[in-house]
Formats: sequence, structure tokens, C-alpha cells
Amino acid sequence: MNELILTIFSAAFLATVIRTSTPLLLATLGGLIADLSGALNVALDGIMLIGCLAAVVASAHAPWYVGVLAGLVAGGVVGAVMAFFHLRMKADIIIVGFAISALATGGTVFGLSIATGGDKGTSINLPSKAIPAIDLSFLDAIPGIGPFLTSILSGHSFLSWVAALLVFGIWYFLYRTPWGLWLRAVGEYPSAPEAAGIQVTKVRAWSLVVSAALAGLGGAQLAMFNYIGFTANMTAGRGFIALGAVLLGARHPVGVLLAAVLFGAFDGLTTVLPGLFDWIPPELIRMIPFVVTILALVLFSIRAQRALAMRAAR
Amino acid sequence: MSMTSAGSLRPQSRWTAARREIVRALVALVIAAIVTLVVVFFTSKAPIEALTTLVTAPISKTRTIGLWIDDAAKLTMTGLAFSLVFQARQFALGVQGQLILGGTAVAFVALSPIGQTWVGLPLGIVVAILVGALLGFLPGIAKARLGANEIVSTLMLNYIAVELSNYLIRVQLVPPGSGLLTTDRFPKPSLYPVLVAGTRIDLGLIFAILSVLAVWFALYRTSWGLKLRLVGHNARFAEYAGIKPNFITVSAMTVAGAIGGLLGSMFVQGAAFGQLTTGFEGGFAFEGVLVAIVARNRPLAIPIVALFYGYLRQGAQLMNIRTDVPAEVIGVVAAIIILLVSSSFSLPGRAWLMRLAGRGGRALPAGSPLAGDGSQ
Amino acid sequence: MSAIIEAKGIGKVYPGGVVANNGVDLSVAKGEVHAVVGENGAGKSTLMKILFGIEHPDAGELLLDGKPVHFSNPRDAIDAGIGMVFQHFSLVPSFSVYENVVLGSEPHAGIRFNRKEAIAKVAELSKRFRLNIDPLPPVRTLPVGQQQRVEILKALYRDARVLILDEPTAVLAPQEVQELFVAIRSLIEQGKTVIFIAHKLPEVLEISDTITVMRQGRTVGRVKASEVTEQSLATMMVGKEVTLRVDRAATAKAAPIVNVLNLQLTNARGTDICADLSLTVRPGEIVGLVGVEGNGQAEVLEAIAGLRPVANGDIQLGGANIMPMSVLERRGLGIAGIPEDRIAQGLATGASVAENLVATRLTDRRFVRNGLLDLKAIRTNAQQLIEQFSIRVSGPNAAVGTLSGGNMQKVVVARELSEQPRLLLVSQPTRGVDLGATQFIWKTIAGARDGGAAVLLSSADLSELLALSDRLLVFYRGRIVAAFLNRDDLTAETLGAYMLGLSEQTEDEMKAGLG
Repeated sequence: MNELILTIFSAAFLATVIRTSTPLLLATLGGLIADLSGALNVALDGIMLIGCLAAVVASAHAPWYVGVLAGLVAGGVVGAVMAFFHLRMKADIIIVGFAISALATGGTVFGLSIATGGDKGTSINLPSKAIPAIDLSFLDAIPGIGPFLTSILSGHSFLSWVAALLVFGIWYFLYRTPWGLWLRAVGEYPSAPEAAGIQVTKVRAWSLVVSAALAGLGGAQLAMFNYIGFTANMTAGRGFIALGAVLLGARHPVGVLLAAVLFGAFDGLTTVLPGLFDWIPPELIRMIPFVVTILALVLFSIRAQRALAMRAAR
Repeated sequence: MSMTSAGSLRPQSRWTAARREIVRALVALVIAAIVTLVVVFFTSKAPIEALTTLVTAPISKTRTIGLWIDDAAKLTMTGLAFSLVFQARQFALGVQGQLILGGTAVAFVALSPIGQTWVGLPLGIVVAILVGALLGFLPGIAKARLGANEIVSTLMLNYIAVELSNYLIRVQLVPPGSGLLTTDRFPKPSLYPVLVAGTRIDLGLIFAILSVLAVWFALYRTSWGLKLRLVGHNARFAEYAGIKPNFITVSAMTVAGAIGGLLGSMFVQGAAFGQLTTGFEGGFAFEGVLVAIVARNRPLAIPIVALFYGYLRQGAQLMNIRTDVPAEVIGVVAAIIILLVSSSFSLPGRAWLMRLAGRGGRALPAGSPLAGDGSQ
Repeated sequence: MSAIIEAKGIGKVYPGGVVANNGVDLSVAKGEVHAVVGENGAGKSTLMKILFGIEHPDAGELLLDGKPVHFSNPRDAIDAGIGMVFQHFSLVPSFSVYENVVLGSEPHAGIRFNRKEAIAKVAELSKRFRLNIDPLPPVRTLPVGQQQRVEILKALYRDARVLILDEPTAVLAPQEVQELFVAIRSLIEQGKTVIFIAHKLPEVLEISDTITVMRQGRTVGRVKASEVTEQSLATMMVGKEVTLRVDRAATAKAAPIVNVLNLQLTNARGTDICADLSLTVRPGEIVGLVGVEGNGQAEVLEAIAGLRPVANGDIQLGGANIMPMSVLERRGLGIAGIPEDRIAQGLATGASVAENLVATRLTDRRFVRNGLLDLKAIRTNAQQLIEQFSIRVSGPNAAVGTLSGGNMQKVVVARELSEQPRLLLVSQPTRGVDLGATQFIWKTIAGARDGGAAVLLSSADLSELLALSDRLLVFYRGRIVAAFLNRDDLTAETLGAYMLGLSEQTEDEMKAGLG
């Protein structure tokens, strides 16, 4: 037990947590934006996968930042398609999300086989690139905690820093700008902004595009830093865990940051635990993030139910 | 809404509504077919051959026809399971977990001494149904009592079910010393009898047909079914009328789970497998969502959609084996079909044609709460 | 005075063939209070939506300051100086007053939302037009009258010159209506023009200068308020002499059949909706529950129906304690109810008329045996009820959502009253229902009472309560503060004082009214 606690608070583990949380955080932020605008995006996982593939294929033929951009743009395009079918064609957003998920699972394998000329399992034959790690070893100079800080903060993908900045940026957007007010109004009570002349469909469309772009960016991180290259179904349910994180984080940027980090920690545990407790079967360990998500969902539902009842009472 | 109208209010007869839905489904299929054509043309070195395989392979041999029918039966089952929960306006996506754990439970029975006796078959089926029902029940009760989002809970349960099944297979069910993650073949008394020799058509087909009839009967001829449909239309009204919406919803999800579990039994006790392997399900369960959506959750339409889609699926797989086009193209096609069928689209030409025929003009976007067309 | 807004020959046909407007003319002079009256379905709402750019006319033209205009969306109308206050407010519940007012036109410095400036502007407007609203609290904590004034602030913030009010007095008590009128007069003084849609003829006559009457999609008259009476207006609206009263029963003598004793209802927060509430109802009498919406009347009816948990107290029907009974069991005892919102609660619009009519009778052996439906019996039942209640529909299999408001309500009434109930709980029975159907429904309710039912009637329409009730109980903050036997000299003003908690009867005074 003591070993476990020591491991969790070790610099190496914390660094791992930051690394594993990054794709999840990006997808979660995407989920947050969509949810706040009133359109729950259940296709986050599929969009992430598409982002993974786009990033891998693009970076195989171009510099790494083009790969990252490809993930972002691919996500955005998918978001636009979702917006089209949901807002213009009036299809239910959950069904649209499901369709995109189906498209992603099959389509990415299909796309992969075309890109690699027949390989459907992984992109191992493609020379895709990695996002360079940002070296902060100059932090060593800080007296005392320098080396500790370095081992936690140095060597992360620049997208990790982007994600952290985004948390602040999205908070500022939501609570300090008029457009954030519009977004929240559209999600909570659409007839109010509509009466004020705000185009609800436009706001929702943009939020879906941004939401998907963020998920795509998370996919780029996943396929260019956490792993290098594309494997079928490599997202392993992260997009759905992101939904859980949105709920757990009380639909607030800081809350979802904490939730995503928590889930990242559990994901990190799945690599650490087998070393410490080898009698725990690997399947059980892999189950942990999903079990935690369900527990979080249940706990949050209880809380939300109470809050809702309070608000509804006259 | 004023009753004085230029023409009388057109009554919504069941036939016109059904006709419109059929047309929409057909248009979606046509568009999907065109997309498939385009995709295959661009990606294959021998597109004509690929397309011919896609279209004709399934009925080329008795064996492939058997594959098609067997597939359709299984698609029917998962479509039915989803249609029941969709009727209750729940997006429970847990059929995958029910299927997998149902099949796993069967393995325990089949590989035990009981499995050697004639009891093996029926007991396996019963166990699968019970396990599936439980897995359908749990997210249902969580939603009913706690308001826990069923999309997230069922998807998480699916992943948990996969890991649990993998664990059980590796540790409990696989013969010791085997390096593979497959159990022994089940003893014959635990397997479904084959109906058409040389094919996969087995007892599962009977189960599929019976399930369709049972669900149809339940939905349209019993008070439970009427209650379910009323809850689906307006849960507040159902409560007001004395119906307990939570009870109905949970029961619907439990029954759907039972169907999912039975499907698991069809997989592992059927001629297709006859044993349990990790990953045997391979995402199949989710194809039921497409079937349910295209069939508009109507039990009698589901087997028809299942036959069509099953044909397409078989064609794609055969095309994959014999040509250079990957089977995953079907995932793309499936997504397109779902998107089109669930939209309220009207083709540009159609609106013009309708006006020509003197009927009402284009549909007013009904999304805005301020829309005054009286439909809200 | 010149016309600031004119509509000439407006026509509008909705998909499905409903002709909402067919040759509507409107001429509003600058600086006047102009009322538009007509029954439900007359086309008033559609006309207002066209004026505000939500709908586009199929025929006719709009003139603003004498120049033709075309509004493609509300933003155009707002930019042109037209503001609209809807009956159902468009306020985001968790946002503060000032956030709601400035939404869509926020003052901003670069990308930053300038909250200070917004608050200052809203406070200034509130003071100038005597609206008395604090800019800071979340809107969901405000009473309805104040929420409405927030809506007016929204329009004023956007420099509206013309304010359109859609049935503004529907949810206000008489004194709050007077407050609104004070605000309207202040608006006129400062040069604004006010158009409002109304149903309540006394109020229309009190505040308006000019009245336009609409009927069946057409303008049928334009009169000066000083030159007409309530009766002549009603005649213009309906086209025939309308009697607005229903015969009331002689005082019921039988012992009370419904006993509510010391009822305590709490909301989820733990605060009391009502505490220690007691009332009785006799068979063969209609007891009207008077009060501004939100003072507990609706919740008490829900509790009696079994739709709301009870913290404390007893509810008895015919001596039997119904507290432990489910909704279904209570229905089995003879409790029937017409809910407040027929679409949200009273019907399944996607299901057929026959299915809706049988939905509360699924334990009746005539329709369900051993869990199986008897489709033939269900269909026959539907056909009988359709005829008995004159429901205009193509057949029992038509989806309920295709019916008009009045006919939908008739389906609800038919279902609940197809068998004589012992206790009938009625909430807003004729809201959004045209005059003809209103008369029919009133007659049906009175008929149920004559057949021996005990009726509890809750309504926001005082004239409806005064027309139907034998006794009246006034609710304020979950308590009964006054009780009256219904007499001809009982007025809305008297009731209004009690409705707003301005006075309270003593126990002795209440005795007669409490029965």
C-alpha cells in the first residue's frame, strides 16, 4: 500500500498523468462546449479516431505541425457535417453522433488501408511523425524543487500546454465575453436568445464544429505523442470517458479539468498497478476507468437530481 | 389553430405516414448505393468486379445464402432490442454487453457436466436470457431512480462486459495449457440444431421469427405495449394517467436486455461458432441501431430491413475476401443511411414537384420554439 | 395623430392549409394604446408574429411611419424599433436580470463583456420608466409580474418605439395589472406606442384608446374604446350574442365527500409550499381555487391526484384515506382530472385519439382483459365519445397532435368525464380554447357537478371562476386567506386584495365560504 502511495505522488507518475490526460482533456473540453450549447456530442470518440488517422496520414507526408493541424481540421469538418445533419436536416443529435461513431470505426480502418496500401491493423508502415517534446530542463536551476518540477513539467507535448491554456481560454470565453453568454443562453433556454435576435442554429453549429475540432486535436495528440502511429480503435473509449468527465466536472471548465486529470490518473494507474500488484488481472485494471466513470455518473446524477428538484420547485 | 382552412386539414392516416417513411428509407438506400459505387470506383483497382461481388455473391451459393439468412436473423434480434428501448425514448446502447456476457454465461453451462446432457441447450438459453435481462435492468433502474444518463452507463457497461468476458475466458473457461483465447467446442447437446444442412441456418432463425412476433404482439396488442408507447410519446401524460413511466421504461429495457442475451446464446450455441472466443462479437450489436432506426422501431419492419442490410453486409465481406475493397466500407455506408433516414429531408426536386401537384409547400423548420405552425 | 404602424390586407397560410390571417388591416396611431382582441384562433398571435418578423406574410404589406417595410427576422424588427413581450417569457432562468436584458446586444470593450456598463444602463432604464427592477438577482427568483417587466426592459434597452404585449395580464393579479397599466401610461408619456393582444375585455376597455377586433383571420372592426361596451365587443368577436354565465346549483346539502386535513406540502428545498391547509368539498358543488399562479393551488390539486408527495396531513375521499394510494388506485376510486397543460400533461400527441381516450382506463375489463387489448371495444368507445363531445376529427385513429386546441381539450374532457366521477380536479380548463368550446366545456363541468361530482376548479381566469364556482377559496402563499359563497356582488377587486395578501379574513368570516 505504501508503495502505491509513493508511486502516485512520484514525479514520474504525475508526469504520466499529464501525458495521459491531455487527449482526454482536449476531448472533454470539446464535449463541454457542445453540451453547454445544448447539443450533446456522443461522437467524441469517433471524431478523436478520425483525428488520429488524419494526423498520422498528414504527418507521414508533411511536417509534424501539419499533422496536428490535420487532426484539428478533420475534426472541424466532421463537426460541420454533424451540424448540417442535426440543425439543417433536423436529425436527432444523439443519432447523428452515433452515425458518426459508426462512420469513424469503419471509415478509419478503410482510410487506413487505403493510406497504407492494404494494411488494416496499424500504420506501422507509414512514417508518421511525433509532436516534439518541450524541454523545460532549465527549471532545474530553481533551488530546492527545481529537479522535481523539471521531471513533472518537462518533456510534454506542446499540446499539453495548449490544453492547459485552453481551459483558461474557454473559461474566459464562457464567462467574460458576450459570445460565451450567448452559448450558455442557447444551451439553457434557447427561446431567450432567439427572441433577442441571436441565431441559435448558428451558435449551435459553431459549438459543434469547435467541439469536434478539439476532439480531433485530442486525436492528434494521441497518435503523435502518446502513441506514434495509428491502430484500429486506438481511442479505447476515451471519447466516452470524456462525456463522463463533462458530467463529473459539473459542466464548468475548471471542473472538467479536474475530472479529466482524475480519469487520466486512473488511466495511468493501469500501467503502474500491474507492476506493484501482479495478482490483479490486467482485464480488471483496464476496467477501472470505466467503472470509475459509472460511479462518477451515478454520484453526479444523485447530486444533479437534487439540484434540479430545487430549481423546479415553485 | 383556426379550423377554417382553405383546404380541409389533411388527416394523418396511417397509410400516408407509412408510405412517406418507406419512400424516405428507399431514397436513403439509393443514395447509400450511389455512395458505395463512388467509393468503390475510386479505391478499387477492379471496381466492376468488386461491385459485382458485392451485389451477387451472397446468393451465389447455398452456403453464402445461409450466411445471409443467419446474419439477418441476428440483425433482427439486435434491431428488436434497440427498437424496444428507442420506443421508450431511451438511448440505451447496451446490447453489446448483454450479448457478450449472455454468451459467456452460456459457456459456463455448456462446458460443465450439464452441458453434456440434453439440458445443456435449454439451460444455456435461459441463462443467457437472464444475464442479458440483468444487464438491461441495471442501467434502466439507474436512469429511473437517479436520472443517470443511460448513454454513458450502457457504453461503460459494454466495455466492462468485454473485459469481464475476456478475463473469464482466459482464467476459467479456456482449457488449461492452451495458448489461445478460445474455449473448447461445446458438446453437441448444447448446440443449436441446424435447420438447413451445410449452412448456418439454425434454431436461431426460429428464435428471431418468434421474437419479432412476440414483440409486435406485446407492443400493439397488450396493455403493457400501449403503456410503453404512451410513455414514449409523453411520459408526463402517462404518469398523469396512472401509468408508472419508470416501471414501464425499466421493464422495456429489461426485456430488450433479455433479447440481447438470447442473441448471445444464438452466437455461441449456434452453427456459426459453437464455442466462445474473445472478441467474437466484434461490434456487431451496434448494427442493430441502424436496423431499428431505418425500421422506425416497428417490429414488423425490422426483419425486412435486417434482410436488406444483411445482404449488403454479406456482400461487403465477400467483396473484402475476393477483391481489394475492405469490408469497412459498409461502416461508411451504414452511417450515411442512418443520417439520411433520421433527417427530415426533402429533396429539392420533390418540393417543386409537390407544388406542381397542388399540395402544401415546403416544411417549415419546426425546431424553433417560436414557429407558429401549430405542430408543436 | 399619424399612423406609426399599418398593416394592409395581411394574409398568412400555414403549411397544412390553416389560414391564420386572411385580409387583416391594422392601423396604430403614434403614442396610443391599441388593443387587438379576438377569440383564440382569430389570428391575433399570427399578426403580432408578422409584425415582429417571426413569420412572413404571404400577402399584404406592412408600413412603418408610412414606408413599406419587410422584416425577415426579429432582429430587423428590433432594429426598426419594434419590441415584443411574449406571453411566455424568454428569460434564461439562471442569468441575472441585466444579463437577460442585454443578451444579444451586450456592451463590450473589445472581447470583454462590460458588465458594469450593462448594470448601470439597466438600472437607469428601470428608474426612468418606473419599472422598479433590481438588475442583479437571477431572473428565476423574481415573481411573475417583475419578470414581465424585465421583458419590457429588454425592449426598451433596444430603443423600442413600439411595444407589442402579448396577453400581458394573463398571469397577473388585479393589483399587478394596475401596476402594469401605470408602466404603460408612463411609456406613452415618454412617447412610446403600445399595442397589446388581449382577452380580458374589462381591462381592454380600461387602458386602450383604440381597439381592433379580429375574427377568423380577418379584421371585423376598429373602434374607439370610449364608444363600445364589453357586450358589444364580445358580440363583434364571436358574431353572436354570448352569455357568459352558467347556471349555478342551489347550495349543496350533502355531507362533504372530500376532506383535506392539515395538508403540508414541501418542495425539494425543504420550504413549505403549504402548511396546515384544510378544505372540504361536497358532492354536487364546484369549489373554485382563486389565486395568482404559484400560490399553492396547483400543488394541492396535484397532491390530491397523487402526483405529488405529501409531507404531512390527510386526504380523504368518502371517508377513506387515499394517502397511501397510487394515482391509478385513486382513479379507480372515481377521481378524474383535467390538467393545466393539455399538451405537456393531458395527452400523448403522437398517439391516436382512441389510444388517448382509453389511456386512463387500462384496468377496465371492457378494454383490457388478461393484459390484452380489446381493440374493437377501444375503437367503439372512441367513436361514441367523439360523437358525444362533438370532437372535430377525421376518425379515432387520427393522431391527437393534428387537432386544434379546443378539440384537444375536448378529448381530455371526454376521457375524464366519460364516466361520472366522484371528484373532479380541474386546472385551467379553457386556457387557449375558443369561445364556442369554452361554453361546451363549462356546460360539461357543470353537468358533472349536477350528476353529483365534487369539483375543485383552479383557474387564472377570474371570470371563469366567478361564472362556475359555488364557493371560492382564495390562496395566498399556500394558505387559504379568504372563503366566499359565490354571489353576484362578489367582484374581482375584492378577490384581488386577498389574492395578493393585502388582507385576510378572520375565521368567522371564512366560515360560510369554507362550507
